[in-house]
Amino acid sequence: MKPGAVANGMTESKPIFRLEGVTKTYGQVAALSDVTLSVSGNEYVSLLGPSGSGKSTLLRVIAGFESPDKGRVFFEGRDITEVAAHERGIGFVFQNFALFPHLSVFDNVAFGLRNGHAPVAESEIGPRVREIISLVGLAGMEGRGVHQISGGQKQRVALARTLVMSPRLVLLDEPLGALDANLRNRMRNELRAIREKLGVTFLHVTGSETEALAMGDRVVVLDRGRIAQFDTPDAVYGRPATPNVAHFLNRYNIFSGELKGRQFTGPFGSLAVEHVTPADKAAYAVRYDRMRVEQGAATGEGPWIAAKFVASEYLGSSVMYFFETDDGHVVEVEHHLSLGVPQSYEPSGRYTLRWRPEDAIVFGRG
Amino acid sequence: MAPARRRKEHSAWLIAPGVIWMLLFLVAPILLIVYVSFWTQTTFKIEPTLTLQSWKMFFGSDTYLASLWTTLRIWLIVLLATFVVGYPTALFVGLFVKNKTLSTVLLVICVIPFWTSFLIRVLAWRPMLGKEGAINIILQKFGIISEPIEALLFTELSVIIGMTQIYVVFMVGPIAFMLGRIDPNIIEAARDLGAGFSRIFWKIIFPLSLPGVVVGAIFVSVMVLGEFATAAALSGRKVNLLGNIIVTQVGSLKWALASVVGVILTIVMGLVIAGFLRIVDLKREL
Repeated sequence: MKPGAVANGMTESKPIFRLEGVTKTYGQVAALSDVTLSVSGNEYVSLLGPSGSGKSTLLRVIAGFESPDKGRVFFEGRDITEVAAHERGIGFVFQNFALFPHLSVFDNVAFGLRNGHAPVAESEIGPRVREIISLVGLAGMEGRGVHQISGGQKQRVALARTLVMSPRLVLLDEPLGALDANLRNRMRNELRAIREKLGVTFLHVTGSETEALAMGDRVVVLDRGRIAQFDTPDAVYGRPATPNVAHFLNRYNIFSGELKGRQFTGPFGSLAVEHVTPADKAAYAVRYDRMRVEQGAATGEGPWIAAKFVASEYLGSSVMYFFETDDGHVVEVEHHLSLGVPQSYEPSGRYTLRWRPEDAIVFGRG
Repeated sequence: MAPARRRKEHSAWLIAPGVIWMLLFLVAPILLIVYVSFWTQTTFKIEPTLTLQSWKMFFGSDTYLASLWTTLRIWLIVLLATFVVGYPTALFVGLFVKNKTLSTVLLVICVIPFWTSFLIRVLAWRPMLGKEGAINIILQKFGIISEPIEALLFTELSVIIGMTQIYVVFMVGPIAFMLGRIDPNIIEAARDLGAGFSRIFWKIIFPLSLPGVVVGAIFVSVMVLGEFATAAALSGRKVNLLGNIIVTQVGSLKWALASVVGVILTIVMGLVIAGFLRIVDLKREL
């Protein structure tokens, strides 16, 4: 791409922050290696990765709680790598909320305005704090101590405390992790709504693939300190960039095997493949809901794999079936109830699992 | 309902040994001391005839009143000194040392002086502070002073130095404990909101450590107010605390006056503790 074309593309949505080759090691372990990432303004970005993938470290480097060993951090076009955390003006919402236990809801939210490096007049603090408290739906709770409110309300105070500073970028470290499932779903919608109202960029770290896909306008997938994929939820879900991304999504049966030219050899035999996604290791992935179950031994054209039925799990809108192949690999099949009544299968019965070759994603050194 | 209540009745027995112990060896003796303070004291005898004689003697004597003021003055100075020396130490051990093992090791180091007896710890100050003691020798060797400083030993200063050294650890412990419980995320949250270190200290760290300060202050106060040994060993009998008066009076079998001083000391301690507890609601904080 020509430099002019880049500049042109950025006029629409200028990057709010940019990481260039950020590397951070703890002892021998590389938490982040050569991470380069650019996020535009007014966007909800989720950062998905398993524990130990470096996602919290990445967030802490952006916030300034950790400094990178190598690489630069840019915020609103300015190099802030050497700028102290309290002078960056980037909001941070902690997983455990980290509210000030000795202060009321109002005083928690007002803390940054009163004690920040650009102090605000007390006459201006009152209205600003009350406005943001009512934005997060806590009007009337200003005087409560933070021990007297529920988990969901604490989450809102933590958010309000950050948002009242009018940051351009808010980092959220597993913000829904400490909430129960019901509340988590409600807060998801609210986080999105609040963000859209304020036009702030949110970078939301999560270990939950459903949360990452549901919330992000775009999703960054982090794998052992490297960015494995950065794309829309739709693209990440439908076209994972690496076998590990497919694995994190928890929606793909992944068969290992060997790729030679256009021929993939796996537990289901040898198949000719049309399209290969370049990756470090060869793998063959088929989404759970793209597999069909047939009674008895296989007949006709492949691809298929023989397996014995183990168990099923009812999920409400769909049923998950668990099969085991002859080499001990567990294969999951999802059956959406809108597509017909669920079948019942014989435990330990032999079945054939079948899929269309065009539904498979083949990884390998192509 | 019934089994629950029975369980409650059973569990009430758990505090019975403690209650009996406290009644026998704390409440009863205190009541007895109050009673004895009104007994009639003659030179060799004490009789259970009620009189205000000993109380009048205490409040009518300049020596005794002076020792009450000395006790209060030394208590306040030692309290301040243990706080000034102890808080930064606790801040380092409890907050700045991130490694929990290391902070435990440092706290244990603070307690090492307690591996030897109280009397040795006090007497060890004599060769330190004396006219030909370590401090004077060192200062003279470096030419900082030409004549030894005599004010170091057998003065109020030596009592204060000795007490501060012995009791500072009781200040460090509770404060370090409270500081260690502060969630590091809270401090990072404050930093993220734009607060610099001094703001974070005064608005977050210090208020959250206050219960530790109060507990430490109560420990130090109770021990310093009842002190007599340090004053006896390091003041050359120039500093007479209420504790020293009790020891002398008991030594000469003046039980009634000793009881008066005991009652006054108990009241002072009660007021001091009540005062500290008003600063912080310990029930809520701990």
